[in-house]
Amino acid sequence: MSSNNPLVLIIEDELPMRRYLRATLQSHGYKVEEALSAEEGRVQARHLVPDIVLLDLGLPDGDGLDLARELRAWTQVPIIIVSARGREEDKVSALDLGADDYLSKPFGSAELLARIRVALRHSAAVAGAVTDPVVEVGGLRMDFSSREVTLAGEIVHLSPNEYALLAALVQHAGKVLTHRQLLREVWGSSVGAQPHYLRVYMASLRKKLEADPARPQLLLTEPGVGYRLKG
Amino acid sequence: MNADPASPSLPRPEVLLALLDGTVEASPLLREAAHLAAQSRGTWLAVHLDLARHSLYSRTQEAQLQKQLRLAEQLGAEVIQLEPGISASRQLLALARARQVTAIVLGHRGPSKWWQRLLGTLPDTLLDHAPELRVHLVPLVPERAPLRAWVPEYPGIAQMTSALLVVALATALDFVARPHVDLADLVMVYLLGITFVATRFGRMAALLTSLLCVAALDFCFIPPRFTFAVQDVRHLGTFGVMLGVGWIVANLAERIRAQARMALEREGHASALNRLGSVLAEGGSVEAIRDRVETYLRKELGMPVLVLLSNQHGLPGDADHARRLGPDEWAVAQWALQHAAPAGRGTAALPGARGLFLPMHGTEHPIGVLALFPEDRQAAVEPERQSLLTVLAAQISLALERSHLAEERTEARIHAEEEQLRNTLLSSVSHDLRTPLATITGATSNLLAPGPEADPGDQRMLLTTIHEEAGRLQRLVNNLLDLTKLESGQVKVHKEWVPLDEVVGSVLNRMEEQLAERRLELDLPEVWVPLDPVLFEQVLHNLLDNALKYSPAGSSLTLRAQQSEDHLLLLLSDQGPGIPQGEEERIFEKLYRGTWGPKTTGAGLGLAICRGIIQAHGGSIHACNAAAGGLEIRIALPIEGAPPELPPEGNL
Repeated sequence: MSSNNPLVLIIEDELPMRRYLRATLQSHGYKVEEALSAEEGRVQARHLVPDIVLLDLGLPDGDGLDLARELRAWTQVPIIIVSARGREEDKVSALDLGADDYLSKPFGSAELLARIRVALRHSAAVAGAVTDPVVEVGGLRMDFSSREVTLAGEIVHLSPNEYALLAALVQHAGKVLTHRQLLREVWGSSVGAQPHYLRVYMASLRKKLEADPARPQLLLTEPGVGYRLKG
Repeated sequence: MNADPASPSLPRPEVLLALLDGTVEASPLLREAAHLAAQSRGTWLAVHLDLARHSLYSRTQEAQLQKQLRLAEQLGAEVIQLEPGISASRQLLALARARQVTAIVLGHRGPSKWWQRLLGTLPDTLLDHAPELRVHLVPLVPERAPLRAWVPEYPGIAQMTSALLVVALATALDFVARPHVDLADLVMVYLLGITFVATRFGRMAALLTSLLCVAALDFCFIPPRFTFAVQDVRHLGTFGVMLGVGWIVANLAERIRAQARMALEREGHASALNRLGSVLAEGGSVEAIRDRVETYLRKELGMPVLVLLSNQHGLPGDADHARRLGPDEWAVAQWALQHAAPAGRGTAALPGARGLFLPMHGTEHPIGVLALFPEDRQAAVEPERQSLLTVLAAQISLALERSHLAEERTEARIHAEEEQLRNTLLSSVSHDLRTPLATITGATSNLLAPGPEADPGDQRMLLTTIHEEAGRLQRLVNNLLDLTKLESGQVKVHKEWVPLDEVVGSVLNRMEEQLAERRLELDLPEVWVPLDPVLFEQVLHNLLDNALKYSPAGSSLTLRAQQSEDHLLLLLSDQGPGIPQGEEERIFEKLYRGTWGPKTTGAGLGLAICRGIIQAHGGSIHACNAAAGGLEIRIALPIEGAPPELPPEGNL
């Protein structure tokens, strides 16, 4: 295994879950380290400097949310939250705190690997600090320098808000963005902005970009959390 | 041998009858009767003579009798009043027969008087007519001051004046009539006057009038006239008759007046009870009855009234009423409850209190305390009022106890039903949990077993089974958690205006794999609906999941929506076997599984969750057979108001 394989730190107290994650990740070329508690995770994160952290929210010795906040205070390492279904508020708080994505238990290995790939790609882009002025996702092509959006070669006309919204999603393609994050991206810290605004612009974006808005292929909804551009 | 069901050592339950008249301190008599009744696990009656029959009853005696009756009630007696005007012994005998009385308890006050020996006493009469009755005599000590003593009520100025006026009028009339009539007729006019005074002004005025009449007759008409001397001794007899008639009429009139007074009072009590009855008849919760009773008593008695309810530890000190009372009054109320005796103003216990506190006892437990706050010092003390209040308190206790018991019964029933459902759920769920676990355990043990390498195809098949069964477990656990949350009221509906296609889109996305081999026709208008996106997605997921399970592989599904003025109608139909008639509502019941159609796996929770969520949205969900065959689920969601306006883009 080459030394530049990414290192994944798993902070998870359940042994079967750790086994599953380790097996899946190692077989796909990742290096894996484990921490069994929030405390151990805190120490490991400083010593090992992992490339990505998988953080379980239900740890025995502390709130995973606190650990996420703490990590975010000194490192930009991508954090993927692992938590049970039905805890949408926890996921939203973790994402708003700066976690990069989440996985709802149970999840398949394909989903796990996809999320990790997206998170690593984004952290590399941030580290490089050079954003490609043209991004292509599916048939969608977005040119940030000319502010031109095309879908399968056809130019799509967007209003300024639609453009801002799409730009935020495209820049984080594959990653979930919470309502709050999107509102901040599009309207700044404007107090009056509500999730309802997002839905309105999302609906009009879908009308322009999706063949059938009820079967979106690009602009996906994460109920109770936010939106994700299929990446 | 014939087994006697009753143990021979236990005496037959007695029915005892204790007779009260309020003339002496009778508590030993009452306690003896209660003791005898308790010994044989029998019952006892406290019978008293009607006060109105005894014109010479004084207020003291009346109060004493009331006290005795209250004590009798507390000792568990049924209080019965004998009717006035009918012989007491005859009534007693009739009552004894009717209630199958086995023994009579009487007070014995020392050697009988000469007239009693002559006329026979009540025990003698009773024993003569009902020799089967046993009679217990309890020695009673008469109080030093003879209670039967007649406490003279002195006539007032108005009564004396009226007596004088009547005598003057009668005399004047006699002067006019004298030349034409006999002396006897003149006497008649006086007697008329005496009767008039007796009926109008009472006994003392009547007695005074008869004396004055005799004097006036003697002075004005009996020769020698205009002196008090009497020539003919026979006229003394006339005077005697006049005085005698005056005495009898005066007493009769007094008795009628007393009866009228009692009747009026009883009528007042009866109508008060009647009104209370209608207040109590409305029923309801203990609190509702308490509030109504408070309002009623406040109006009825014209004073502030509180009904304090107790729990098993006494009066709760933190209740709103306790704070309104203040600690001192509250302590008095507590005393009344603990000692089961009236306390506070106008009673023997803690008379310094501002309020009068009457304990309310149910048949088993204390119910609470009736707290009254009379405006002036005397109002609450009158014995008539006291007795009325005691009766009202008894009625209120009964009603409160009834309501309390009803509440307990309802709670117990609900508890039992919940228990039943929990058991069903447990047995059904444990089966549904065990089956996939067993499959997974079996399949994995096969894969792990040492031995010849299995066929790769078989291995893959086993792994697929494990994956599917784990998914089934996952769904079951999720449904159970959802249902538990819904039922415990933990689920709060956060309605937001959402485009319908967004919710549908996110479900279809989530179910992409499952739906891959099916055709789903969509016909959705562009509409915004107020709903909870997370919960509603769950509904659509469960419904689609169900439709997939119950319809043949490869068949298509249809999801349509229609918008009306204030509703959104969502229709999901499949090409499955549909639903037998009469099952349309039952499929939404918890743990109900259709017995028709393909054998499927599920705990019967999915549709119950759907109904719970839709109802929490204020909507409705129904099932029917679609015209083209197959099952159709119809959801109606209310659309109230309009989505918020969006500011123009430039100003955002």
